Amino acid sequence: MGEERRTSTGNRQDEENDESLSLGSVLTSEGFSKEDEEFGEAADQALKQRPSFSIRLRLILSFAIIFLLPFLITLWIMHTLANLQDKILFLEVADDYKVEIQQARRFEKNYLLYGTNLNDALEHVVRAEAIFKKYEDRFRKVIGEDALDEMAQNSRDYIKILRNIPESQNERPQMEKKLRSHGALMVSLAQKLTEKERVWVQEKMELMRRVPFIFLLLLLLLMILLVGFLARHILNTLNRFIGYTQRIAAGDFTPITPARRYRDEFSVLALYINRMVRALDRHHRILVESHKLRAMGTLVAGVAHELNNPMNNILLTASVLQEDYLELDEEERKEMLDDLVAQAERTRKIVANLLGFARQSKAVVETLDIRKILEETVELIGNQLRVKKIKLHFDVPEKLPMVHGDHQLLNQVFMNLIMNAADVLPEKGEIKIKTSTDQREGFLAVDVSDNGPGIPEHILSRIFDPFFTTKPKGQGTGLGLSVSRGIIRKLGGYLLARSTFGQGSTFTVLLPITTIPSMLSARQDRERKH
Amino acid sequence: MKQKRVGKVHVLIVDDEEIVCKRLYSSLTKHGYEVETFTDPQKAMDHFAENRKFDIVVTDIRMEGLDGLDILNAVRVLKPGTKTIMITGYATMEVAREAQTKGAFDLIAKPFKPKDLLKLLDKAVRELNQEGG
Repeated sequence: MGEERRTSTGNRQDEENDESLSLGSVLTSEGFSKEDEEFGEAADQALKQRPSFSIRLRLILSFAIIFLLPFLITLWIMHTLANLQDKILFLEVADDYKVEIQQARRFEKNYLLYGTNLNDALEHVVRAEAIFKKYEDRFRKVIGEDALDEMAQNSRDYIKILRNIPESQNERPQMEKKLRSHGALMVSLAQKLTEKERVWVQEKMELMRRVPFIFLLLLLLLMILLVGFLARHILNTLNRFIGYTQRIAAGDFTPITPARRYRDEFSVLALYINRMVRALDRHHRILVESHKLRAMGTLVAGVAHELNNPMNNILLTASVLQEDYLELDEEERKEMLDDLVAQAERTRKIVANLLGFARQSKAVVETLDIRKILEETVELIGNQLRVKKIKLHFDVPEKLPMVHGDHQLLNQVFMNLIMNAADVLPEKGEIKIKTSTDQREGFLAVDVSDNGPGIPEHILSRIFDPFFTTKPKGQGTGLGLSVSRGIIRKLGGYLLARSTFGQGSTFTVLLPITTIPSMLSARQDRERKH
Repeated sequence: MKQKRVGKVHVLIVDDEEIVCKRLYSSLTKHGYEVETFTDPQKAMDHFAENRKFDIVVTDIRMEGLDGLDILNAVRVLKPGTKTIMITGYATMEVAREAQTKGAFDLIAKPFKPKDLLKLLDKAVRELNQEGG
């Protein structure tokens, strides 16, 4: 029956929560931490202000470089092939020239031996001369100016001798000698010409055989370099972003700041992630706030009832004093005044507790005595446990290691765990609060156990999900455990749940034990004083 | 102000706040009621069962052990016609209304003054007189 009241107030709180969720953006622009928003915007500005060097541009440049190399090679090959074709054609000309010279010499020999074919010899050497004249420039290019002059001189002298054969036998041996020497020189120069051209062609052919292999090697090297460069850039950045997502998932909502000199597509992603993180942070804060509202609602109801008793005592006593003042004797009056003071004192204590819980402040992580917090929590909600006739075992030793935490947030978490246990317990159920230091090294464990119905396995895995609730509609926001886990994680601890269906559940809060020497010594000082 | 029954009206007060018992005792006694008070609801019930002289029972709803509804139920079984007035706080308003549907005479919300309760007692006495003829 007591729960029915909670249902009705719970409904009202749900509506308020829904409203605050839908008003999220409004709340943010007005209230929630302006500094964070500004820091986020500064990070965004820094991300945007770098010079741009997009991945698209990098890809285009890489492919342009990869294209440029074959393009140059193709140009070179085309050029060389044209040259070769030209050289091969010229080689034929040079061969013709050589053949004409050789023919002339053959007829020259005949003439010298048998006195025949003089005209034939002349004819061939004149033909050779014609070829030489026609291709003089090319000849010059191949064998050079000096050889060309020599070639021309020889051929002119040779023709001259052939045309002016002396009649006298005495002059013949000298003429023959001259003729032979010019002839031999002509042949050797012609051979030199063809040889030079042939060697050039062979060298180019050899080069063309080698160049494609060299080119392939170069291309491979270039591709390895470029792929390495691109992959390193993209993969490194992806890894960095994976890191960001893990960091964000762990609840660190610091915005992404520039890690590279240039802006690219990932910078846009970073901007959007920053925007998402801000939205997440906003929603997270709203969740915490709305949950706090719910906790406050429960608390206020309890406190209102708690306040009623001393106020009732005060009103009754004051009324009696007022009405019967003259009829009362001195002792009775004094007793009533004492009662008034005591009851006013009682209300003051309740209000102080409420204020302690409700003080609006940021998470203040300090070294805390967990026993004190647990005692406070139990005192705050003890009345509601009494209504349900739930028995509370408080198994917390006097001396416990100090832990890191926020007083108010931890109050909220323990209140939530105890109220959850109370919600599932039938009348006269039992809740046990127990602390230990041997569950995990460096952590103090607080177990909140109940002997209720327990949580089936398929539900156990979902109880920390936001908005997951097994309570009837309107009774639970589904935020309690999710927000509690968020709080404990923020404080560097863990919130775990285990349950045996039919035998009850245990929620364990693991909080890091304070090891900072200054804090420990502060604690020792405190202990000495006490 | 008060219409007296033949003889004294017996009132049983059950509240785990001792001050409530003390103040209501003095105030009601002054107005002519025969009053007995208990801070332990179980003892109050035992006493009620032993001598069924009480015409009116004033009980808090939320107490350790037996609560106001238990007392109401017991009273209705042991001595039907007894007027039961429930003292309720903000948190037990729903229970108090339920108690009324189950036969409680009236409810009084904390915090209240003695004369608020005296008015209700007056009303109860009037009804008792009418019923008694």
